[in-house]
Amino acid sequence: MNKNEHDHRHCLELFEKLSEYLDNELDEVTCRDIEKHVKECVPCFVCLQTLKRTIDLCKQAGNRSVPEDFSKKLKEAIQNMPKSPPAR
Amino acid sequence: MTAPKRANRKKIKDKDFELVRAINSGQFDRFADLVKSYEQKLYNFSLRMCRDAADAEDTVQETFLNVFRYLKDFRYETKFKNWLYRIAASTCIKKRRKSKFAPQRELSLDEFYPQGEAEVPQQVPDWAQLPLDKVLSNELLDKINEAIFTLPEKYRLVIVLRDIEGFDTAETAQILNLSEANVKVRLHRARLYLRDRLKGYFENE
Repeated sequence: MNKNEHDHRHCLELFEKLSEYLDNELDEVTCRDIEKHVKECVPCFVCLQTLKRTIDLCKQAGNRSVPEDFSKKLKEAIQNMPKSPPAR
Repeated sequence: MTAPKRANRKKIKDKDFELVRAINSGQFDRFADLVKSYEQKLYNFSLRMCRDAADAEDTVQETFLNVFRYLKDFRYETKFKNWLYRIAASTCIKKRRKSKFAPQRELSLDEFYPQGEAEVPQQVPDWAQLPLDKVLSNELLDKINEAIFTLPEKYRLVIVLRDIEGFDTAETAQILNLSEANVKVRLHRARLYLRDRLKGYFENE
């Protein structure tokens, strides 16, 4: 494949499966197929690496603290709820 | 072969099992422990879904009120956390429909597939190969959160549950009442969307 082309059907088929590959959700044969392909295809290798890093970064997105005022308000709302769940 | 009777289904004894049982047996004061346990997670989940802080607060409160209301119906057939997120996701979706932030659109695989000389990458960029701690910064985390906000809701729900909240594909499918295949398709497109946003960020740095 010309290095400036990336329209190979096999690339497109594997491109669809990169997330499943990274999530270990593919069968062994397909995994080996992807591994073999990315060794030979630079654009697909780059796609795989950038996707992997995107997932890693997304996992670092972090959490905000709950605002104290809201936490207090929520606590009060819970305390004010009927002491037994409503009858159904 | 007949399906097992509902009563015979195995109960899942997760970390919340005893607490939920205690509440359902009449120790209603212990509901506060459940709130304490999940308040921050639900707040952040709701914030990512609603974007607006006031909407997120309303959603969290509504979720806990619904959980309290329907806890007696919980059959311990799934982890309590999964059941809780099912209620939270449904509450967020209802809230979002009333909200002004609702850019709904389909993401297609074609828009992320690199084609043409200019788009086809020839080497792994630094941001994808340097150690993670060399790449991470507060500004980058802000950009990631901002990019998540701009994802259409149905893709955002999936990526937040899978990659931020840590649910697996089967659990996410159960929470959102989707097929696993559908979860995988949405997740892949959401990740590709974020990847493009990150690529844009690093290229313009």
